[in-house]
Amino acid sequence: MNFCAILLLLALAAPGWGKEPEAFPDLNPNNLHELKEATRVLEEEIKLAARPQTYLLIDLSASTILIKGRGIGLHQIPIATWSAGPQEALKGVHRLMARPPVVRRKIEPGAAVEQEPISVADMPTDYVLTFTPPLSLTVVPSVGNDGLFRSAVLLGKVGWHNVQDWVAQFFADQPVEPSSYLRLTLTADHAQSLAWSLVDGMALVIRRSSDK
Amino acid sequence: MGRILLAAFAVILVLLLAMNAPTTTSPTSGTSHEIQPAPAEDKASLRTLQARYKALSKQLAQLTPNQPYILVDTARNRLYVKRQDEIVLDAIASTGSGTILDKPGEGNNQWVFDTPRGEFLVKSKLTNPTWIKPDWAFVEEGLAVPQNAVDRAEQGVLGDYALGFGKGYFIHGTLYTRLLGKNVTHGCIRLNDNDLKGVYKLARVGTPIMIF
Repeated sequence: MNFCAILLLLALAAPGWGKEPEAFPDLNPNNLHELKEATRVLEEEIKLAARPQTYLLIDLSASTILIKGRGIGLHQIPIATWSAGPQEALKGVHRLMARPPVVRRKIEPGAAVEQEPISVADMPTDYVLTFTPPLSLTVVPSVGNDGLFRSAVLLGKVGWHNVQDWVAQFFADQPVEPSSYLRLTLTADHAQSLAWSLVDGMALVIRRSSDK
Repeated sequence: MGRILLAAFAVILVLLLAMNAPTTTSPTSGTSHEIQPAPAEDKASLRTLQARYKALSKQLAQLTPNQPYILVDTARNRLYVKRQDEIVLDAIASTGSGTILDKPGEGNNQWVFDTPRGEFLVKSKLTNPTWIKPDWAFVEEGLAVPQNAVDRAEQGVLGDYALGFGKGYFIHGTLYTRLLGKNVTHGCIRLNDNDLKGVYKLARVGTPIMIF
């Protein structure tokens, strides 16, 4: 009888994480740093989800990009690998200012043949997105069959950013803050899918990872 | 002899106990999923943050629509009606072609035939809708834009129902069912007759439409 009473008490005292809605199922509720980051992201996201818009959540902890609206995950894109500049600069809400141009086909009035529509396959696989507050998000495709060339391009991009930062700091009179950047490696299909779904001015919030 | 054996046994026992004792060193990997002993102050912060995280997760969940909502994937040309996580209706659609058409006499101004991305609301529900052909429909065919509004009306091309979501965009039917699943429209979302009827029944004025 006493044993049953103890079990009942334990059940009532248990935190019950599983029953409540959880924004980040991968979160370890006993890790202070993870909790701090998750609450910060949630505070930002609630402001975005309260308005009629779609927005991006890049979850570096779970290695996913989510296109969301009203807090609902509408579309999920896995991240193969990522790297980032100073993580402090990834805080807050960023707005998309520039994205890769889309080559659109022009309809000729009265033409007998219909113009070919654009599709996801017309989207780039390798591009840079510019956000404000300043954040440069580089998307590169993961290494496929054309491995050597892709690897060289990827290394070149990563190296070039570092050289730019180094040169800026070397010639500056005053100490220069290293520019904030995020580099994501996605499969070619996923890179195109992301490029397709972007909207000018789209909001971005990033959940940083404590693993790096 | 017996004492010596007893002493040796005691020494071995102590050594075995020492080897199995739990270590108090912190994890070397630094991964976030290991529970570390925390001082009392941290424990209090942890409890506060856990409560805050739960409250924010709940707040975010409350922003999701309680009623059914429409989700449109323009890359894959699919339309879903969802209620929470449940898919109530799954339909093949046609969305914007992404092509462009010059506006005559307006310099570099162009029509861009994209389905808009973002969050919208069903603003109107129509039965037996009449298509009031916009200027681009005439320009595209190489025809003069009529001055008389009556000359713009066309019956029977939009199907039995239409759901307007603003700025002249509708979810409607089509005569060209073989093109469903392709990006061929001028921005509207086309469905076959059965799916259109289903969406019309499930949606109300005010139903959210999320498009990505």
